[in-house]
Amino acid sequence: MEEEQLIAGLRAQNRKTVEYLYDKYSRALFAVISRIITDKDIAEEVFHDAFIKITRKIDSYDESKGRLYTWMANICRNAAIDKTRSKEFSKSSKTNTIDDYVYGLESESGTSELVDGIGVKELLVDLNEEQRFVIECIYFKGYTHSEISEEFDLPLGTVKSRIRAAINVLKKNLDRI
Amino acid sequence: MDIQAYISSGKLELFVLGELSERERNEVIQLAKQYPEIQHELDQIEEAFFQFDNQTGINPSSTVKKKIFESFDKGMGNSPEVVMTTPKEEVTIKTVSIQPWKAYFAAASIVAVLASGVAVYFAMQYNDVDRRFTALLQEQTVLAEELNQYKVNFEEADTQLETLLAGNFERIPMKGEGFEMQKDAAVDVWWDKASESVFVSVNNLSGLEEQYDYQLWAIGEQGPVGIGLVNAGQKFSLQQMQAVASAGAFAITIEPKGGSESPTLEKLVVLGNVG
Repeated sequence: MEEEQLIAGLRAQNRKTVEYLYDKYSRALFAVISRIITDKDIAEEVFHDAFIKITRKIDSYDESKGRLYTWMANICRNAAIDKTRSKEFSKSSKTNTIDDYVYGLESESGTSELVDGIGVKELLVDLNEEQRFVIECIYFKGYTHSEISEEFDLPLGTVKSRIRAAINVLKKNLDRI
Repeated sequence: MDIQAYISSGKLELFVLGELSERERNEVIQLAKQYPEIQHELDQIEEAFFQFDNQTGINPSSTVKKKIFESFDKGMGNSPEVVMTTPKEEVTIKTVSIQPWKAYFAAASIVAVLASGVAVYFAMQYNDVDRRFTALLQEQTVLAEELNQYKVNFEEADTQLETLLAGNFERIPMKGEGFEMQKDAAVDVWWDKASESVFVSVNNLSGLEEQYDYQLWAIGEQGPVGIGLVNAGQKFSLQQMQAVASAGAFAITIEPKGGSESPTLEKLVVLGNVG
C-alpha cells in the first residue's frame, strides 16, 4: 500500500487500513517506546495509548512536514518520555543502557528476536564512545538534545554533530546487514 | 547557501527526532522543497530511523494488539484511548491558556523589579536628604546658640562701653610683683569716684581650685572692705563690684569659697595703690 493510500484510509477510520498500519509499523514503534521504558507491561500500555492516539489524530498529520513514520515515532517517543517523567514512574528507571537493552533482548526473547538482538549489537558496534553516548541518551533514555547539552555540559553544536555522526554510522550498518 | 554544510549541521536529524522549534522546522521544510539534496538526505534519515527501529525492535504481544483493536472499535466514546489522550490535550490547552498568564506574570515581574529599583533609589535619596536635613537642623541650632551668645556678649560690651564712656573712671592697675602667690598676675580696677562704682578687668590671673575664690578688697581708712568676688576666667571684660566711696588701695586675696569678712593676708595676690 502506498503511503498516500494508507493515510487516506486512516483518515477514513478504515479498519483494514489500521490493521495494515499495525502490521507494518507496530514493531518499529514499539521499539521506540520499549527502548525508553524497559518494563514490558508499562511499555505496552504506553504503546496501546500512543497507537490509538495515532489513529485518532491522523487528521493533524501534515504530509508536507515529514513521513508518516516519523510523525508516529515522535508521538510514541513523546508518550514514552512523558511516561518516564510522570509521577508514578520513578526516575531511576531512566538508567537503561544499550547493553541492558541488547542483553535484555537476548535473554528474554525467543529465536526470531534473538536474531534481531544480534542485529542491534551489530548496528551499534561501530559507534565510538561519544556516538554511543548520544544514542544512548536520545534513544534509550529519552533525553532531548538540549537536555544532553545542559546535563552533560556539552555545546549544542557538539551534541548535534555527534548525533549526526552516530546516525551516519547506523545508516551504513543498516545498508550492510 | 552551502547545502553540504547545512546537511552536516545535524539539524536534519533533529528535525526527524522532532526536536526543532516551529521556526526551525519550517525552515527545514522550506529548504527541503527548494533543494532536492536536502529532501533526499531527509528521506534517508527517516528511512534509517525506521529501519533501525524496525530491526532492533520486538513485536508487541498479541494481547496488546487485541486491546488496541478493541479500543479502536469502541471508537471515540469511552475508550481507554480517550482517557489517555485527554491529559495530553489538556496539556496543550493548558499551554495555550498559560501563555497570556505567563506574559502577564513576566510583565508584572518586570514592573515589580523596576518598581523595587525605583523604591530603593528613592529610599536612598530620602535617607540622604533626611541625613542632610538633620545635619542642617543641628547646624542651625548651633548657629542660633552662637548668635544668642554674641548678642548677649554684644549687649554686655555695649553696656560696659556706655558705662566707661559715661562715667569718669580711673584705672588702678594691680600687680602680683613682690608677692609670693602669682608674680605675673595683673588685674585692673576701674573706679569712678563720683558715682562710686567699681569694675575689675582681669588681664592675667591663674585659675583656682573649687573651694577657693578671688576676693577684691578696697583698703580705706577703716581697713580692708570686701567688695566682691572676681572671676579669673572672665578676662578682658568688666566685672562690676560693690560701690566704694573712698579707698587708698585695692587688693585681691584668695579666700575660701564665697569670700571672707577680712582678708587672709598671707594669700595676697595683687595690690594696686590709687594714684
